[in-house]
Amino acid sequence: MNEKVMLIDVSKCTACRGCQVACKQWNRLPAEKTQQRGTHQNPPDLTPATWNLVRFTEIPLREGGVRWLFRKDNCMHCEDAACQRACPVPGCIFKTAEGAVVIDTEKCIGCEYCVNVCPFEIPRFDSATKKVYKCTLCWDRIGNGQIPACAKTCGPGAVTFGPKEKMIAQAYARAKALGGDATVYGDKFVKGTHVMYVLPEKVRMYEKLTINPSVPVSVYLWKDFLKPVSVLAIGAALVGTFFHYIIKGPKRPEEGGE
Amino acid sequence: MTNHWNDIANADVILIMGGNPAENHPISFRWVDKAMVKGAKLICVDPRFTRSAAKAHIYAALRSGTDIAFLGGMIKYILDNNLIQKEYVVEYTNAAFLVDEKFDFQDGLFSGYDAKGRKYDRTTWKYQMDAKGIPKMDKTLQNPNCIYQLLQKHYSRYNLDLVSKITGTPKDDLLKVYKGYTETHKPDKVGTILYAMGWTQHTVGVQNIRAMAIIQLLLGNMGMAGGGVNALRGESNVQGGTDHALLFHIIPGYNPMPRATDKTLADFLERNTPKTQDPKSLNWWKNRPKYIVSLLKAMYGANATKENDFGYSWFPKLDEGQNASWLILFDQMAKGKFKGFFAWGQNPACSSANAGKVRKAMETLDWMVNVNLFDNETGSFWKGPGTDPSKIKTEVFMLPCAASFEKEGSITNSSRLMQWRYKAINPPGQAKPDLDIMHALYQKVRKLYKEKGGAYPEPILNLSWNYGPKGPDGTIKHPDPHFVAKEINGYTAKDIEVEDAKTKVKTVVAKAGEQLGSFAFLQDDGSTTSGCWIYCGSYTERGNMAARRGKADPTGIGLYPGWAWCWPVNRRIIYNRASVTWEGKPWDPKRAVIWWDGSKWQGDVPDGPQPAGDIYPFIMVPEGHARLFAAGLADGPFPEHYEPLECPIEKNLMSSQKLNPAVRLFGEPGIGAGADKYLTCDPRFPLVCSTYRVTEHWQTGVMTRWTPWLVELEPQMFVELSKELAKERGIKNGERVVVKSARGEVDAKAIVTERFKPFKIADQTVHQVGIPWHYGWVTPPDGGDSANLLTPTIGDPNTMIPESKAFMVNIEKKGGK
Amino acid sequence: MAKPKNLILSSTVFERVVHWVLAGSCLFLFLTGFGLMFHSLSFMANFFPGGHYIMKLLHNIVGIIFGIAFLFALIAWGKDTLYFDEDDKKWFRVMGGYLWEVEKVPEAGKFNAGQKMFFMVLFLFWFIMMGTGIFMWFPIFPAEITRWLYVLHALGVVVLGGFLVIHFYLGTYGNPGTFQVMGHGYVTKGWAKKHRPKWLRDVEAGRRSV
Repeated sequence: MNEKVMLIDVSKCTACRGCQVACKQWNRLPAEKTQQRGTHQNPPDLTPATWNLVRFTEIPLREGGVRWLFRKDNCMHCEDAACQRACPVPGCIFKTAEGAVVIDTEKCIGCEYCVNVCPFEIPRFDSATKKVYKCTLCWDRIGNGQIPACAKTCGPGAVTFGPKEKMIAQAYARAKALGGDATVYGDKFVKGTHVMYVLPEKVRMYEKLTINPSVPVSVYLWKDFLKPVSVLAIGAALVGTFFHYIIKGPKRPEEGGE
Repeated sequence: MTNHWNDIANADVILIMGGNPAENHPISFRWVDKAMVKGAKLICVDPRFTRSAAKAHIYAALRSGTDIAFLGGMIKYILDNNLIQKEYVVEYTNAAFLVDEKFDFQDGLFSGYDAKGRKYDRTTWKYQMDAKGIPKMDKTLQNPNCIYQLLQKHYSRYNLDLVSKITGTPKDDLLKVYKGYTETHKPDKVGTILYAMGWTQHTVGVQNIRAMAIIQLLLGNMGMAGGGVNALRGESNVQGGTDHALLFHIIPGYNPMPRATDKTLADFLERNTPKTQDPKSLNWWKNRPKYIVSLLKAMYGANATKENDFGYSWFPKLDEGQNASWLILFDQMAKGKFKGFFAWGQNPACSSANAGKVRKAMETLDWMVNVNLFDNETGSFWKGPGTDPSKIKTEVFMLPCAASFEKEGSITNSSRLMQWRYKAINPPGQAKPDLDIMHALYQKVRKLYKEKGGAYPEPILNLSWNYGPKGPDGTIKHPDPHFVAKEINGYTAKDIEVEDAKTKVKTVVAKAGEQLGSFAFLQDDGSTTSGCWIYCGSYTERGNMAARRGKADPTGIGLYPGWAWCWPVNRRIIYNRASVTWEGKPWDPKRAVIWWDGSKWQGDVPDGPQPAGDIYPFIMVPEGHARLFAAGLADGPFPEHYEPLECPIEKNLMSSQKLNPAVRLFGEPGIGAGADKYLTCDPRFPLVCSTYRVTEHWQTGVMTRWTPWLVELEPQMFVELSKELAKERGIKNGERVVVKSARGEVDAKAIVTERFKPFKIADQTVHQVGIPWHYGWVTPPDGGDSANLLTPTIGDPNTMIPESKAFMVNIEKKGGK
Repeated sequence: MAKPKNLILSSTVFERVVHWVLAGSCLFLFLTGFGLMFHSLSFMANFFPGGHYIMKLLHNIVGIIFGIAFLFALIAWGKDTLYFDEDDKKWFRVMGGYLWEVEKVPEAGKFNAGQKMFFMVLFLFWFIMMGTGIFMWFPIFPAEITRWLYVLHALGVVVLGGFLVIHFYLGTYGNPGTFQVMGHGYVTKGWAKKHRPKWLRDVEAGRRSV
């Protein structure tokens, strides 16, 4: 396997947002018209043209003082990707050998199933192009031996990219060294994500970071239960009526009754 | 930087104060993070909880402009708790030196103050000398006139209560910082300080840094790996700009500017060449004549001869007492003393303190040449807000120039590291590299002088200008940065021989016509040239040293001696002789910078090649010892707390001198242009304000405001304020407000944040706010205007850097989105 | 068409058109829906210029047609289907004689209890399919809600899929003579007597026309 992981060590991130710009530069995404709304987080949220966003969270502490947390938010590239399970078009959402979950926008029909099943609320629908966009883990770079643009540009070394096992080991070593509430986020759910975090604080401290994410139950019900059951139901009805016809026979009006 | 960027990773404790590296020097945090991974503690002291503070183990808030009180408290803490690195302090600093008995300090004033002239007569700020002319010392540090005792006496007043009252920092926080940082007094523990404009842009700017230098010396952190006093430069090449003296008071290589009273070269050299009688003091500046003569040779080439004082008379000079600093220049411009102005790669209409005054001043000009990548507020001042273009006579020429990646050349970063850069793409349209523009300009000016004469044409006509390959007609079609770099390095016109100290055998180290390998070979007889002596060794017979890309790290402490080239002589950590004992053993063997192996030095290039124990480590001062007591400054040998020009409290709690007694006041009769208004302790302007930068924009934003991706991140002028202040004023987060000072006003969006907290200053509540100075009216359309419309025209007495980090404002609600 | 001899009008033109629109749109929805649900059936997108995108768009549009057609179906058959009477209960006890030999199947009106049930289920799932489909098309609800719409929509497929097959069987092979209700609309009296005697009596007595 050639699986890769992007490790985001939040403890090292200074929110310089070089990654946010590098993402736009590599993916040729346009700048958005924004306003100063009373925070440094801008654009306010992920959009079809912003696939990578540094979220700023200010948390006043009970004992005085403040925590200012920064988190680079982008697609987690799940091994068990709910979006891929939900997508109706074959090959539209696909996974690369490295583990990148990519939307082929050529094939995308804008049904937004992926938008609504993603446990991390990542994909964004563009009402102008009627397509859905998200981070591709720079699959066009990593497939050619490069690292993703955001990792490439990260000055403090908070975003790194490498072989899965190595990055997981690094993540745990780092979390252990940080101590306290530090945790590793990413390997324990959806069969492991290809973007992982080292979080110095508890998961709930970070804006819009899902606690215990999973492929939604609804997706299993929908795709793994009802979908086959629908075939069964139709099949059973066909078989049933067939046997009804040959065993019980049709109901004919009494002859000469008219 | 005394040290270098990578070296931050070696520190045990990192103090960020007067700077915000996470935001303004983002790449520096790579090394801060590396240090923290190894267990280093990060301390951040700032009025505002910054992105740097967000990463710190210890954060303490202080009111803008009270750094000396804060650091003075730390000096007292060190001395009270005997946390000095004793041997280092006694042997390597001037702690043991005796000072003139007439030296005194009373109620905020040092001896020799002239109240009328707002300046000091510094004659009593001197060492006592013995019969041989060597400073007297008391290595027991007991003599009441010894510097250690004077220091103790001076900072005895900086007790915790008083410091807390002045700075607004809670006593617990002060102690946390003091305790955390002074851990590094142990010989094998090292602390570094990262500072920037948060320390310099004050009326006590130089003394802020002096205070930290004293702390670093007391703790034995100078010269060490992971130590030093590190100025983070706010621009990639501002170090190079300073080295090559883009300032009024120095000439290349940190040599003083000649004065009109220095009639001859000999007068100039006599006045500026320090002397010592102490055989153990290397007194490096004794070589100054060699550097000056080599510079004159570079300037005037063959026209510079021994007979004509090497062209010294052609060299520009200042009048006696003349100050030609930025603030004064624009003051003079406002008074109509200038005809024309080259705004070259700058945007004073937004970057200058009291920018409103500067914008007005430009209206007096006949012409302006704006050399820049983009249109800016300076070039377009004539159509700015509140300006009537029909009433402005100034003719403005815009010369588009190439960006850094559109031309070849070098930059010198904060590490003093000269790195060669290559051209990636051609400049767009008519844009040209600066060198090409200067070359064309010089050719034209020279032609005019040659054909039409004019006042004093010699300095122009005699200039040596060999910055490119010459065609058959003797002219240079295209200037070449390599030619410039070679001239900066310098060459010799005759063979240079060096005699071996033991064998007395002479060997030729440089042949006539060769590029020189080191400034050690520079001569004062006119046989060598060097455009900037500290760069001698950067472009040698072995080639362009700045273009080297060696990745070897033989010492393991990140010196990378084969990567590019750093001045002086590729010494990566200066004052490194202070990192070892007299015997040449490293204080901190784990991170040894240099060590004496019994016959020669190993490691970094040492500060002077002499064997261990032969010379004092601080070779750039004639006494060879680092100065706890520094007599050379305008405002006193010890840093003393004074309030900023505009401050929120009526009285300086430290003394009855409220303002730095040596600063030059504008707005007084005879100086200032009427636009220099100050209002201190005025109820109309009750808020302390500081300007700063954010990662997403750069300087006045001329480059970044034209970059949509960056405007997306930080689209508009903002003011950050505390929730408490917002509540008092009824201001909601994201709301439009007006920030006003005595000098002007600027619209901003309010960021109401937990990251500013009200201060308790002298038992009153004082609010502080902060604004970025990146915006300007040219673009983006709804971006806002410059924070410098609010800042005062006042400068540090030594450097004249404006006090834009502490002044008084008010905020008013404007409403609307 | 002139009234054929010995035949009796069982469904009006209106009913027949509604029925055909329902049948056609329903079949289209099933086929395209399956084309979207099963990657193995994605070849169906090839029948549409513009592929999956157009197939899905048509699925949505036809869904609207189906939804509106069902409103007409309610007008046509609602009053005869949306209730059960005593006979219907008895009918259920013997399952209309479809599953085992029954002496006497309880008499039905225009629609027997099974057909009524079918219509009621269809009514329920019309509501579900329209309600879920429209907000799958225009997802204005939070994702946590929208993702459950997909489940309900698929549940509709399961139920309606089975019902559709049975409905088709009972309307054709299972009950010969029935299909023409959808065709020319006339049935034989014998057929009517067997399948809807109460209705036949009402028609013959002139208590109702169709």
